[in-house]
Amino acid sequence: MIIGIQFYSLLIISCLVYWLIPKQVIRNYFLSAASILFIFYFDRYAALFVLVLSVYTYIFALLIQNNKGKIFYHRAGVAGLVLVLIAFKYMGLLNGVTGQLNKFISVLPVFKIDFLLLPLGLSYIIFKHISYLTDIYWGINDKGNFINFILYSSLFTIFVAGPIERFTRFKIEAERENKFSPVYVEESFQRIVYGLFKKFVIADWLGYFINPVWINHENYSIWVRAAALFGYSIQIYMDFSAYSDIAIGSSRLFGFKIMENFNYPYFQSNISQFWRCWHISLSEWIRDYLFFPLSSYFNNKVWQLFFVPLIAMGICGLWHGPALHFVLWGMCHGFAIFIYQVWMQIKRRNINLSTLSNKKWFTQVSITFTFVYVTLCWIFFR
Amino acid sequence: MEEKLIAFIKEEFLSDPDIEINAGTKLISKGIIDSFSLFSLQAFIEREFDKKIPPPLITAESFDTVKQMVEIINKFC
Repeated sequence: MIIGIQFYSLLIISCLVYWLIPKQVIRNYFLSAASILFIFYFDRYAALFVLVLSVYTYIFALLIQNNKGKIFYHRAGVAGLVLVLIAFKYMGLLNGVTGQLNKFISVLPVFKIDFLLLPLGLSYIIFKHISYLTDIYWGINDKGNFINFILYSSLFTIFVAGPIERFTRFKIEAERENKFSPVYVEESFQRIVYGLFKKFVIADWLGYFINPVWINHENYSIWVRAAALFGYSIQIYMDFSAYSDIAIGSSRLFGFKIMENFNYPYFQSNISQFWRCWHISLSEWIRDYLFFPLSSYFNNKVWQLFFVPLIAMGICGLWHGPALHFVLWGMCHGFAIFIYQVWMQIKRRNINLSTLSNKKWFTQVSITFTFVYVTLCWIFFR
Repeated sequence: MEEKLIAFIKEEFLSDPDIEINAGTKLISKGIIDSFSLFSLQAFIEREFDKKIPPPLITAESFDTVKQMVEIINKFC
C-alpha cells in the first residue's frame, strides 16, 4: 500500500495543502481527514474501525485520567482492545486449534467466525492504543487532544507498516507549531528513495533467486538451500526496513519525526542487542508492556528468566500473523534470550569468561553466531 | 541514593567488583546492563525506594547513568 501510486499521489497533494494551512491545529485536522480518506479508499471497514476504536480508547483515557477507579478502567480498556484483536485476527487460529483438539476430547467450544474480516492495520492500531492507555495509567502521559489522537491512530504514512509510534513522542511532534523547511523535503526524498531502492532493487531482486528454492526445495542441494536461507535473511531485513524507511521519510514531509525502527540488527553481538535494533518499535513495546509487567507477576527466577521470554516472544511472534509457526519463531527467540541471560549470569561470576568476552575476536564470533541463529529462526517465520 | 544504586549495579551486573563506576558511567548504551536485565533494576528501585518506575522511562536515553536514574526516581513520586 505504501509503495503504490495512490500513496504517493496522496502524499504529494496532501503535503502541498498541509503546508499552505497556516496553523498546526488545522493542519492536524486536515491530515487526519486525509488519512481516514486514504484508509477508506483501501478498506471502508478499516476507516470506520479506526474511528470507532479511537472514540472507545479516548473515552477510557478520559476515565483513567480522572484517577477514580483508574485500575479498573485501564484493565477494562486494555481487555476490550485485546478482545477485538483476538476476535478479528486470532479466532481462525483458535478455531483450528480447538478443532484439532476436539478430535481427541470433543469438549472444547467451536468458534464460527468466518464472517469477520481482518481490518487493515488492526495489529498496529491495537498495540498503539494499548500503549496509549497504559502510559496514561502509569502517569507518564496525558490523553492529549482528540484530534491529535485521531491523527496518531490514523496517520496514513505509518498506518499499515508502522513503526508502532508512542503517543508520548507523537504528541510533542503534533503540538509543535511547525514551519515548512526545505530540509524536510530533502530528508524525506532521500529516505523514501533509499527505502524504494532496498525494496525494489535488493529485496525483490533477491526474491527472484530465493523463491524458486523455497518452493521446490527438494530439487536443490543443501548448499543452495542454505544460500537461499541466508538470502532470505537479507531479503526480509531489506523488505521490512524499506517499509520503515518509506514510512519515516513520508512522515518527515509533514515535519513529523517518527522513531527509527532498525539499526544494523545483523551486526549485533547477542540476541538482546539484536532485539534492541530489529523492529525497535515492536521490541520496545514487547519489553515495556509485556516483559516488565509479566516479570513482576511472580518473584521467581525461573519464571523471570525462562517463562517470561518464551511467553513475551511467543506473543511477539503471534503479532506477525495468526499461525503457530510465528509463535514457534518467537519462542525460538525467547529461548535464545533465556540462554543469553543465563550466560550473562555465569559470566558475571567468572572473571576469566568476562575477560574472554571482551576480546575482539570473541565479539566477531558472537556477531556471526547471532546472525546465524537469527537466520535459522527465519525457517519458522516463512 | 546514588551509593545504593552503584552498589547494587556492581553486585548484580559487574563481574569484577574492582571496576569503578560512577554517577556518570553509561550503563545501558555501553552494554554493562542489557535491556532484558533492567527488570531487576526496576525491582530493586521499587524495593529500596518504594517507587515503581514505568518501563518506558527505563531506556538507554533516559536511564543510562546513575545520575539520570536518580533524577527520574526523584521526579517520579
